[in-house]
Amino acid sequence: MFPATWSRLSCKALSCQGQRALSLFSSSGPSNWSKVVADAEKIVGYPTSFMSLRCLLSDELSNVAIHVKKLVGTQHPLLNTARGFVYDSGNHLPTRGLVVLLLSKAAGPSHAASDLLAQDMVSGIYPSQRNLAEITELIHTAFLVHRGIVDLKEWTVKDGPLKDMEFGNKMAVLSGDFLLANACTGLAQLNNTQVVELISSAIGDVVQGIYNENYNNSEESSPADGVAVWEEHTFLSHGALLAKSCQAAMELAKHDKESQRLAYKYGKHLSMGHKLNSDLQPFVKTSVGEPVSFSLNSAPLVFHRQIVGQERWSQQLQQVKTRRDELDYSKLLATVKSEKGVSSAVDLCCYHGNKALEAVQAFPSSEARSALENIASAISKF
Amino acid sequence: MACPWLKQCCRWNASSTSLFETLCHFKGRSVSFSTSSLGRTSWSSVPGNKGQPSSLPRTIHSKTFNFTTCLTGHKPRLLDPTLLQSCCCRKGAHTDAKPKDPFTLAQKDITNLYDDIRKELFVSKELKSLCHYYFDGKGKAIRPMIVVLMARALNSHSNRSGDLLPGQRAVAMITEMIHTASLVHDDVIDGSDKRRGKRTINEMWGEKKAILAGDFILSVASMTMARIGDNTVVKVFSQVIEDLVRGEFMQLGSKENENERFKHYLEKTFKKTASLIANSCKAVSVLVNPDPKVHEIAYQYGKNVGIAFQLVDDVLDFTSGANQLGKPSAADLKLGLATGPVLFACQQFPELHAMIMRRFSSKGDVDQAWQYVFKSDGVEQTKKLAQHYCQEAIRQISMLRPSAERDALIRLTEMVLTRDK
Repeated sequence: MFPATWSRLSCKALSCQGQRALSLFSSSGPSNWSKVVADAEKIVGYPTSFMSLRCLLSDELSNVAIHVKKLVGTQHPLLNTARGFVYDSGNHLPTRGLVVLLLSKAAGPSHAASDLLAQDMVSGIYPSQRNLAEITELIHTAFLVHRGIVDLKEWTVKDGPLKDMEFGNKMAVLSGDFLLANACTGLAQLNNTQVVELISSAIGDVVQGIYNENYNNSEESSPADGVAVWEEHTFLSHGALLAKSCQAAMELAKHDKESQRLAYKYGKHLSMGHKLNSDLQPFVKTSVGEPVSFSLNSAPLVFHRQIVGQERWSQQLQQVKTRRDELDYSKLLATVKSEKGVSSAVDLCCYHGNKALEAVQAFPSSEARSALENIASAISKF
Repeated sequence: MACPWLKQCCRWNASSTSLFETLCHFKGRSVSFSTSSLGRTSWSSVPGNKGQPSSLPRTIHSKTFNFTTCLTGHKPRLLDPTLLQSCCCRKGAHTDAKPKDPFTLAQKDITNLYDDIRKELFVSKELKSLCHYYFDGKGKAIRPMIVVLMARALNSHSNRSGDLLPGQRAVAMITEMIHTASLVHDDVIDGSDKRRGKRTINEMWGEKKAILAGDFILSVASMTMARIGDNTVVKVFSQVIEDLVRGEFMQLGSKENENERFKHYLEKTFKKTASLIANSCKAVSVLVNPDPKVHEIAYQYGKNVGIAFQLVDDVLDFTSGANQLGKPSAADLKLGLATGPVLFACQQFPELHAMIMRRFSSKGDVDQAWQYVFKSDGVEQTKKLAQHYCQEAIRQISMLRPSAERDALIRLTEMVLTRDK
C-alpha cells in the first residue's frame, strides 16, 4: 500500500546499511507477538479507511520521497524513519490503530446516540472510529519523523556534510507537519469537539514526552524518584496517545464515562507494558553474539540506579568504561543483571499487563475482547 | 443580492457618518486631486495584467449604483493611501467622529491577549520558556488585531453589542498561536537565526527543540479551539493548518512557465499568509452570525488584506534596510525564492528567468537579481497589486453595517500598504 518511491528508497537505503530483519513488526517483541497481532487484524476487517494511503500518495509526500532519495548515504535519521514506514522496526507498538479498532468493536454499538446508525458499521466498527484509528497512526508517524530532527550545531564535520543535514531537517519538518495537518483535518471531520480536545491534548503529551526523553536523561538525574519520573515521562511519550485515542473511540460511539475510563486504562497500561517489554529485551534475550546496546534511560537501568543508589551507580559506570572513556555495554549489562533492576522491571511489566487485562474484563465477552486480552498477555511474556 | 444592497445603501445614505457619503462627497470635490493620482497608481498600467488573479472582481454588481461606481469608476483613487487618509479627515471634519486608529480601538481586547496565551501554554520547565519566547507582547499583533476588529464589526452588524464573545476572543488567541507555531517551524526550514530582532528559537535551543516547541504550541491552539465547542470553527482552522503546510511545500518548487509561476506565487501567498487571516475572520463570523453571506464577507476581507500584507512584505524584503524587519534584506532571494518584485522584473528582464529556475543558487545570482529588480518597476508593480487587493478588501468590508471597527478595518488596509516594517 505504500507508494513505490518509498519502498524503492527504503530498499536502496537498506542495501546501504546491510541486512535487517524484514519483519513487519517489532523484531524485539515476544515470539508470539506477530501471531497475536495477525489474528487480531482479521477481527476488525479491513484495517484502514485509506486516510494514510491518501496521505502517502499525495503530491506533497511523493515530492518529499524524491527529495529524501538525495539523503541516501547520509546519516540523517529521516532515512531510518522512512525505512520504518515500510518495515516497521524498532520499539514502537505497531498496533495503535488496531487496538483502537478492537476496543471499538469490543464495546459494541452505541445505545445512546440516535445519529449513529448500526448499518453504517463495518465489522462492528463505526466509520468515525476507523478514521480515529488512522488519525492515531498519522500522529504517531508524524512524531517518528519529528523525533529525527538533527541539531545542526552539534553536527561536526567528521559526521558528514552539514548541507545534507540541513536538507534532511527541512524534509523532516515538512513531512511531519504534513502528517500532523492531515491528522488535524481528519479530527475536524469527526465533528466531535470533545474528541478534538482529547487528541490535541495527547499531541501535547507526546511533545512533552519526547522533550523529556531527549533532555532529561542524564547520568546526573536524581535516582531516588527515578522510577516514578520514568513512568511519568514514559506515559507522556509512549502511553498518552493510545490511552486517549482509546477513550476517544468510546466517546465517538457515545459510550458512557465508565467505558471511556476503562478504554483509557487499557490503552495506558498496554503501552506502558509494551515499553517495559521492549526496554527489557536486551536483558532477557540470550545474546547471539550481536553487540548489545541500550539506553541509559531504559527501564531496567532506571530501576537499577534507584536500587543501588547514586554513589554506587557512579562507581559502576566508571568500572565499565573503556580506556577511551566509552561505555562497555556488555559489561554494563552484566552489572545490571547481577542486581534486582531487571526483575523489578519485569514485575512492573507484568503489573501493567494485568491492569490492561483487568480493564477489558468489563466489556462483554467477544472475539475482539479476546484479542485485546491476548495482546495484553503477550506483552508480559518473556 | 441587489435588495439587501439597496437597503444597505439607503441606510448609509441616511447616516451622515457613513463611508459612502464621505466618498461621494469626496468624489464631488477632488477632481484635480484624482487625476494626479491616477497616473501614479492606475491598475491598468500593469503590463498585460498578467499577474491579475482570476478571482479579482472584473465587474461589480450593476445595481449597486453610486457607492460602487464610485469605487469601480475611479478605483485607483481610493488606492492611494494619502487619499484615503484625506478621505478620513474630511469625514472627521464633517462629524467630529474621527475614526480611531485600529491599534487604539483594538487595544482593550488585545492588552491581555499575550498573558492569556502564556497561561494556555502551561507546561513544565524549559519547554515553557521556548513556547513563551515569541509571546512577549513585542510582536505587531496585527493578526489578533484584525480578528478583534472584525469580531466587533460583525457583532455590530448582527445587532449585538460590539463586545467580544468568549469564543471570538479565543479565536484571536488561536490565530496568534498558529501563526507563531508556523514561524518557529519556518525558521528551522529556512535556517534563520534572527526574527523580530531576536535570535530565533532554533538558534538559541537547537532545531530539535524548536520543532517540538512549534508542535506544542499547535497542540495547545488546537485544544483551545476545541474548547470553543463549535465544529465549524474547528474545520475552518484545520483548513488553515493544511494550507500552511501546503504553502510551504509549494515554496519548494519553481515553475517553468511564467504565467503559471505568478499563479503559483499568489496561491502560495494565499496559503502561507492569507488563509490564516481569512479563516480567522470567518471563524469569528461563524460564532456570531448564521448567514453564510456574512461569513463570506469576513473571509474575503481577510483573504485580500492577507495577500496585500504579504505582497508588501515581499516588497519590504527589497526596500527596507537590514534589521528594520528584524531580518536581513533580500532574505527571500537568498532562500532561492522569487517573490512579486522579481516576477514582475522578469517580464522586463528575461535574463532573470534562468536565475529563478536555479533558485539564485549560482554565485552572484542574488546580487544580479537585486540589480534587475531595481532597474525594473517590479517593486512598484507589486505595490500596485497590493493596493488592488486592499481595494477589494475595502469593497468587501463595506458591505457590513457601519461601525467604528468597520471603519478601522478600512483604515487598516491603508496601514498595511504604508507600513515600513
